[in-house]
Amino acid sequence: MLVLLVGYPVIRLAGVALEQGWGAFAAALTGRGIPAAVWNTVWLGAAATVLALVVGTAAALVTERSTGGRRRWLRIGMLMPLLIPPFVAALGWVEAYGPAGLSDDYLGFSLPGLFGAAGVVAVVVVNAVPLAYLVVAAGLASRSEPDLERAARAAGATAAQAFRTVTLPLLRPSLVSGGGLAFVVAVNSFGIPVLLGTPAGFETMTTRIYRDLALSADPSSFAAVVAMATTLVAITFVAVAVSDAWSWLGGSVIRPGSPAGIPASGIRSRRPGLAVAGYVAATSVIPFLALVLRALTRALGLPPTPGNWTLDNFAEALRGSGGAFMNSLQLAGAAAVLAVILGGAVAALGRGRRGWLGSLPVITFAVPGSALAVAVLLAYGARLRDSMLLILVAYLAKFWALGHRPIAGSMGNIAADLGRAARVSGAGPLARLRTVTIPLLWPAITAAMIMVFLFAFHELTMSALLYGPRSRTLAVVVLNMRQIGDVTVTAALAVMLTLVVLAAGGLLGAARRAGRAS
Amino acid sequence: MTALRVTGLDVALGGTPVLHGVDLVVESGEAVGLLGPSGSGKTTLLYAIAGFVVPTAGEIEIAGEVVSGSGRNVPPEHRSLGMVFQNYALWPHLTAAEIVAYPLQRAGHSTGDSLREAGSLLDLMGIGELSGRKPAEMSGGQQQRVGLARALARRAGLYLLDEPTAHLDSALRADLQQELAERMRTLAAAAIYATHDAAEALAVADRVVLLREGRVVQVGTPAQVYGEPVDLWAARLTGPAWELPGRAVGTGEARVLVRPDWVAPGAGVPGVVEAAWFRGPHTDYLLRIEAGRLEMRRTGPPQWAAGDRVEVRIERWWPVPG
Repeated sequence: MLVLLVGYPVIRLAGVALEQGWGAFAAALTGRGIPAAVWNTVWLGAAATVLALVVGTAAALVTERSTGGRRRWLRIGMLMPLLIPPFVAALGWVEAYGPAGLSDDYLGFSLPGLFGAAGVVAVVVVNAVPLAYLVVAAGLASRSEPDLERAARAAGATAAQAFRTVTLPLLRPSLVSGGGLAFVVAVNSFGIPVLLGTPAGFETMTTRIYRDLALSADPSSFAAVVAMATTLVAITFVAVAVSDAWSWLGGSVIRPGSPAGIPASGIRSRRPGLAVAGYVAATSVIPFLALVLRALTRALGLPPTPGNWTLDNFAEALRGSGGAFMNSLQLAGAAAVLAVILGGAVAALGRGRRGWLGSLPVITFAVPGSALAVAVLLAYGARLRDSMLLILVAYLAKFWALGHRPIAGSMGNIAADLGRAARVSGAGPLARLRTVTIPLLWPAITAAMIMVFLFAFHELTMSALLYGPRSRTLAVVVLNMRQIGDVTVTAALAVMLTLVVLAAGGLLGAARRAGRAS
Repeated sequence: MTALRVTGLDVALGGTPVLHGVDLVVESGEAVGLLGPSGSGKTTLLYAIAGFVVPTAGEIEIAGEVVSGSGRNVPPEHRSLGMVFQNYALWPHLTAAEIVAYPLQRAGHSTGDSLREAGSLLDLMGIGELSGRKPAEMSGGQQQRVGLARALARRAGLYLLDEPTAHLDSALRADLQQELAERMRTLAAAAIYATHDAAEALAVADRVVLLREGRVVQVGTPAQVYGEPVDLWAARLTGPAWELPGRAVGTGEARVLVRPDWVAPGAGVPGVVEAAWFRGPHTDYLLRIEAGRLEMRRTGPPQWAAGDRVEVRIERWWPVPG
């Protein structure tokens, strides 16, 4: 199944790319503007990685090392960009800080370079920060016991020395894997560069693939598309391999648990917390609210005051999107169910085993959406062209890892004796699965389904390359409307799409809490 | 000389008061056992002394210098003390030698000198051959010794030991308790052992402080806190104790405490053995006498079985105040 979903398409991609030999491959990569796109992708990835790590680590230190009830809200705020689709974030930034945006209207100030390299980097960083933050915060919580830092202080180290000699070295694996994730996200990103970069002539490999594949019918450009997709896969694999090799750390931490109730060392000032809150407000909350205001306002050029508010844009958006809303719902729903079955099966097979089956989900998730879409198109496009099934195949190939992860993690926590107890109580293998395993895994299964739904519902990169007249998804409609220039209706549609995703995210949080409580 | 003086210390964690008006004086060369059940505030008190939590009121003075209180709050690295952490807190990315050398480096010694000094400290602990190993490659007892060596490398006048033997198995624990006590004695430094194990506190300390829900309940020599507990709670914390009406021992006091080793067979009150627990070196007998129940401890294997009649003499008792 997995071979059909991921293996065959990627091999087919590499085969097509190299069937004319290395010379043709290299030639395809030197086409007009392509070296610039490759270079842009690489430095965008590197810059976003460094910046996302700095911001994510700083925020993690604040939320994990401070006390009080604000912590929970700061954490949720830091993770919010995960629930705002990247292209919606880009639209939001335009409405908030762009020319004729909120800040321009009221303060006479707009971010220079928002359209172009600087803007792409900024929004990609905001998009990649939550992942870096999550990994580093988890590392701070689990790898670096507060007592380890206290021991350094008691040994005569200043706070800064303790951070440098104890905290940072312990965090190295987290920093490396968080950085790897940020790099993959940045290199894969399509929605942000296509909205902020393309209008200013700043192209990455993903936007170039889109332009050549979706907007051009030139056969020579198809060779370039295939070559770029292959290069994109190679870059990602190298990044994953390097981060895997670096994150190795000898020995493990002994954690008999910290004494209860003693807060970790010292942030007592309110200022760092306020800085994190300010960051969240400026980068996520204000852009999204600006987008909501734009969607509510009757026409471009009117001030976004209540007197000018209307719901017409939303009605218009619903009409204009046609069947796309249903398409997205069906695709995301089907992907959620199938990806969880597939991920669960792989988790069951991989249980207790290490090696290639364990790292497989990570590797397939890292395959860039643009490249995966091209690969799926090459492999199955002839039979499934323009059908929803083609998009579903791509979604499954990309997102089955999201279904796999929570289930595999939860499976590892079920004591083997629970299953054995069912067996000696007279349950056959199937009865054991039905009466013990699945009930215990249920919270993880729900979480996995919602997660896949969430990502599939706002997927743009692959959908934009694979859609046909009858298989447009909501995200694709948003992109197309924006390119036509229908700003207010685009905003309305983007807001609606995000609300669905936010609702799914809320469900996910509830499912997580239920899982912990049981 | 006074190594540590704590006066009227209040500490709150996350708004909840944890320590209330704690007073404590430790002289140089003295070992103080800080005894209390889990949650009584032992670790919090040590953390306040070390500077990891900021007290809401009170004063802490180390070797005559005020480190906390009256507006001062000296950071941990500038307080002259060594600490052994409950879970050892050994840095997993460093080797044993590097861990022990760390405080020396922070004190400004060169890396070479520090590592050499660390080597001799590890030799002193009897684990010189482990200097190249990381914490994950060491047993619990070895890790404990590394943690102690790191504290000693601080060359301080005051050592804080937070349940230093809590995570060791019982055979090793007894050995290490003695070893710790001897090391501290030869250093002539002051030490505070936090523990919830009465036997450990009584064995290693010159004085014992009983802590209950963040308040000091009693301070005294091990013999005092064992023989003259201030109340029933303090008595139970330091060892087995039974409460009887005063008439059982012919006194006017309302209630008295009797410990198992204060009871012996002989002319006195008649009783019935309800249970006998053989514990190796000695046997404990649960007895019922007319006035109530009590326990008797005798060396050797059981001489009586449940149901046997035996006459006992209560050789010592202690009135329960209040």
